[in-house]
Amino acid sequence: MLSRVASNLYWMSRYLERAESMARILDVGQSLALLAGRSGDPRSAIEPLVITDTLDDFRAGGGMAAPEEVARFLAWDTRLASSIVNCLQTARENARSVRGSITSEMWENINDTWLQLQRHRAAGSPADSPFFEWVKERSHMFRGITGATLRQDQPYLFIRLGTFIERGDNTARILSVKQAPGSISPDDDSLSSYYSLSAVLRSVSAFEAYRDTYRDTIDARRVAELLIFDPRLPRSLRFCVEQVDQILQGLPENPGRLPRRLASILRSRLAYGVLDEVYAYGLHGFLERFLRENVRLGDALNTAYLELK
Amino acid sequence: MVSPNPIPLIPPGPGIHDEMLDAEAAVRAHYRSYAEWLSGCSSDWMAGKRAEADLIFRRTGITFSIYGDDSGTERLIPSDVVPRIIPADEWRFLERGLAQRVTAINRFLADIYHGQDILRAGVIPSDQILVNDQYQVAMIGVKVPHDTYAHIVGVDIVRHSDGRYYVLEDNLRVPSGVSYMLSNRKMMMRLFPELFRRQAIEPVEHYPSLLLSTLRAAALVDDPVVVLLTPGRYNSAYFEHSFLAQQMGIELVEGQDLFVKDGYVYMRTTSGPQRVDVIYRRIDDSFLDPLAFRPDSMLGVPGLFSAYRLGHVVIANAIGTGVADDKSIYPYVPDMIRFYLGEEPLLANVPTWQCRKPDDLAHVLAHLPELVVKEVHGAGGYGMLVGPTSSRAEIDAFRKVLEANPSNYIAQPTLSLSSCPTFVEEGVAPRHIDLRPFVLVGREVRMVPGGLTRVALRKGSLVVNSSQGGGTKDTWVLADAGPEGDI
Repeated sequence: MLSRVASNLYWMSRYLERAESMARILDVGQSLALLAGRSGDPRSAIEPLVITDTLDDFRAGGGMAAPEEVARFLAWDTRLASSIVNCLQTARENARSVRGSITSEMWENINDTWLQLQRHRAAGSPADSPFFEWVKERSHMFRGITGATLRQDQPYLFIRLGTFIERGDNTARILSVKQAPGSISPDDDSLSSYYSLSAVLRSVSAFEAYRDTYRDTIDARRVAELLIFDPRLPRSLRFCVEQVDQILQGLPENPGRLPRRLASILRSRLAYGVLDEVYAYGLHGFLERFLRENVRLGDALNTAYLELK
Repeated sequence: MVSPNPIPLIPPGPGIHDEMLDAEAAVRAHYRSYAEWLSGCSSDWMAGKRAEADLIFRRTGITFSIYGDDSGTERLIPSDVVPRIIPADEWRFLERGLAQRVTAINRFLADIYHGQDILRAGVIPSDQILVNDQYQVAMIGVKVPHDTYAHIVGVDIVRHSDGRYYVLEDNLRVPSGVSYMLSNRKMMMRLFPELFRRQAIEPVEHYPSLLLSTLRAAALVDDPVVVLLTPGRYNSAYFEHSFLAQQMGIELVEGQDLFVKDGYVYMRTTSGPQRVDVIYRRIDDSFLDPLAFRPDSMLGVPGLFSAYRLGHVVIANAIGTGVADDKSIYPYVPDMIRFYLGEEPLLANVPTWQCRKPDDLAHVLAHLPELVVKEVHGAGGYGMLVGPTSSRAEIDAFRKVLEANPSNYIAQPTLSLSSCPTFVEEGVAPRHIDLRPFVLVGREVRMVPGGLTRVALRKGSLVVNSSQGGGTKDTWVLADAGPEGDI
């Protein structure tokens, strides 16, 4: 397939996933802010900005570090490249330029999302839970339609590739902020730690998975273990990397040597790693390294398949 | 079946040929079945159907963008819910006339880039061709496969008050609109399936497959790789480009996807370079290759023309076809038909005054309020004067422009385009229409029955261009079951 088309599909799905991630982060952040005693905590208000690496952008805009302001900024601000509205717009623009390579059902869905977004905007919709739910729902719907209508050859693979590269990045970021030095300490079993950890779990739809896996109280180390190493949790780092590794096997071999190698290295570390090693290395450092390597993997597959040389 | 609240049917004005109603306001035979059905529909119901159509068009993204509109907004080309119906025998006549015309034009193009017999015979003055901006000197002596220059032609036809069809222009470069023809049909079948059960209507859905076989036939190799070259998603016809590529199952490429190496054209794919044999281009000549034509073109492929000269790639339509649809050459098409085919033209031309000729100019200047004056190279309804609907000030202003550069203009009598019932505010009212059938030239000349009908939605307006308030209609050619058409 055309490199340009592959690139459009890859970025279309990355941006959709990014919009969904943003909605997840904001949704959880807002429900946490509603908890007694947390509304005044400036650290929790800016948490979504830290996770998404947008604190400087937000400060440049001069906004007040209140949850509503932060949410409005990340959801609606067109000056921010990764705001939900911009992500959905970019995803739709990418889809629009490759309409011939996706099914009409996919196009109609992503176009309809964009049209509905215009109505939300025109109506001055708040950045609140129902809106975040809507974003997640549209993302789920698009993924479902893709799986149900698109022939599973190269275009499909590049769409999946975008999803998992972006998703791994997102999970690592959430975990890294919540467990960064100075954040809630791993053995703190106070109520606020409970809510904070369950928020992490819910932001990656892993609350039920945790319960079913550990059948015990929520503990920071187990949360980290689940989100890093679980082979079946759709948003764990291991799951995302294994998907990427597997997808790369289905793409043309010759240009893909470097991304394949990087994905294999990353995959074996996650598939055979243990939590003690991670803590010995330092959880935060481990996650930072994962983020760097995930970016390098993205760059490598960009060079191999997507660039117009 | 009579509705308690039928849609008001407004009769056409005097002196206009209406497609449905004759001079006595009686329904013509080929519209009888439809009119009977229409009399059972209420305005509200029909308005509901139209809203449904709009919603579906918007959802599927069938929009276009307008030049000169900075906001980059996408608009919907309104699609009317009342079909334009053509009887089978009329279509057979049009089909023969179109095939004749397009065949002669292809012969003409091969001739002027090679032997120039028609110039030497004095049928067309040499300077009309050789110094024409659209005449591509680079194409002289270049052999194109099968001598086919115009593979895809969109001929604009109107019907005058005398009931006859006239060719208004031959679009030989990159005619567009066929996606609206296909979408309109799909929409009508979805909204009104019962109408297609009442009457046998010739299908049009196989157009993409005809187009693909035309493009494949244009190649010199077996099993060619065919691509559609688009200027990109900001082009007003981008929807159509992507739609056609998808329907044909070929790659939709932009200039940056292609490159030329050792005289061959390749596209960049995820598995490395792949050879390209046929390019269905939707980019104008001058943008195709910055090395051969406009050096500032960002849309083209450097070196494409050199590969083309070597015969290593087919470009459809060929480079240099614009000279034959130039409005200054248009008046000679009937002569081309006589010259190359030895036949009398079946389809009439509109009488045309060429303002570069002093006598013609004098006539035009004396009759501006009655005439339509067009730029020789213009398109899209821009830069023209429609005398009868223009104010005195507009006419005076145009007179100055015309006198400053007469050879840039031609003039034609104002044709009273035929009208067709159209669903508007006041009911079903007559609105002026034209017709653009799409003619495909492969091993033989083929077309799907009908084409795109454009309609001027404003009352009395004669401008059907989508950029200027025009809409479209589904175009039905009745299957050959006699004029009654019932099955």
